[in-house]
Order: sequence, then C-alpha cells, then structure tokens
Amino acid sequence: MPTMLATELKTYEQHRNALLGTAEGKFVLIHGTEVAGVYDTKMDAIAEGYRRFGNVPFLVKQVIKVEVPLQFVSNHLGV
Amino acid sequence: MPSFTVQLPNLLNSGPLVTVQVAVGSTAEAAMQAAGVPTPSPLPATAMIDTGASASVIRQGVAAQLGLYPIGVSYITTPSSTNVPCNEYLMRFVFPNQVVYEGTAIETPLQGQNIDCLIGRDILAHAVLVYIGYGNQFTLSF
Repeated sequence: MPTMLATELKTYEQHRNALLGTAEGKFVLIHGTEVAGVYDTKMDAIAEGYRRFGNVPFLVKQVIKVEVPLQFVSNHLGV
Repeated sequence: MPSFTVQLPNLLNSGPLVTVQVAVGSTAEAAMQAAGVPTPSPLPATAMIDTGASASVIRQGVAAQLGLYPIGVSYITTPSSTNVPCNEYLMRFVFPNQVVYEGTAIETPLQGQNIDCLIGRDILAHAVLVYIGYGNQFTLSF
C-alpha cells in the first residue's frame, strides 16, 4: 500500500540505530529528512508536528527495536 | 462516566454497529485554522466495535474527505496478509451522547457495504464495553 511518508520512513531508518541508543521507547517526529524531536508520548509528538509544520504529512514513530504489526483477526479489512 | 447505549434489531447478525461522526483532530483543526483553511465538517460513519482489531480503522478515502494528511505508518497483519504498511491519521470520533474520543486511526479498504470504521482495542482500552446479547444492545462507557 503506497504511503506519502516514504521520505520520512527512509529518514527514520537512517537514524534508527542512533535513536535506539538515546530514545528507545519514545516517539520521534520526522518531517522530510529532518528529525524534529523526540517526545514522551505519541500525542505530544503529533501536537508538535501540527504546531511546527501545519497540516502536512509528517511521521510520528515509536523508537523500538522490533516492529510488531497490529493484529486484525476479522476479515473486515480489505488487505 | 460518559456513555451511550445502542439498541439494534438483531445484534447477532449485524454486530455492534453505531453511527458516529468522524472529524479532524483538535491539533489538526488548529493547524487548519492557523493556515486560514476552513475546517471540514464531520462525516457521518457507521462504526463497528471490533474487539478483534488492535487499532481503530477508517475506510480508505475518509481522511482525504477531511483534508487530512498521514502522521504515521503502522504495519498490520490480517488473516490474509502480513506486515502491510498503512497510513495513520489523527481523528476525532464523536459517539452518541456527544461522547468524544481523539486518537489515531489507520486507513485501509474495508470490506462489506456498510462499515466505515472499526473501533478497535486502542479506544476500548479507555472504555467499558457491556454487550447484552439477549437484549440486542450494548453500552460503551468512557
């Protein structure tokens, strides 16, 4: 499924190891190639993203070693 | 405790459905106002309470109708697929009785003709769900 956040995801991967060393478990805010900050909660990071960048695509992602996918056991999702 | 109760003709067949309004989140709304962009009106949506969904979902296209852009990417696993990336949006769900929840929802295609969103365990984590099957009703309290 395509995403508008390909650049931000690439930026995250480039900084992932460093972020794991300093901010594991926290939420990183990324806009384009800029790592804009690290926050304790997801909602704090989202609020700061809208405040700094406005209503544009940006990435808020928890800094974790292993990505665990969200689970859906019913067949409602068309993917 | 804010709550609402839904009475359905046949809860067994339909599942726990509720009509909600989906709207932009408050910080997105503030960003739109700061940019001089009118806030889109909330959209009516049929939601299913889904304890089998670990996150809440909106139907593909809803976010665009609300003028929203993604603020995250989540990977999902379903009975038929694994690790599918999906965009994530800040949303406000307005339930009956003006019960409001604000948080993120992922966007995917939804199968079935009449479901626009799933209320998953991320929202239920803040709630009490009382499912009275023999009475064809359920109550959600926050």
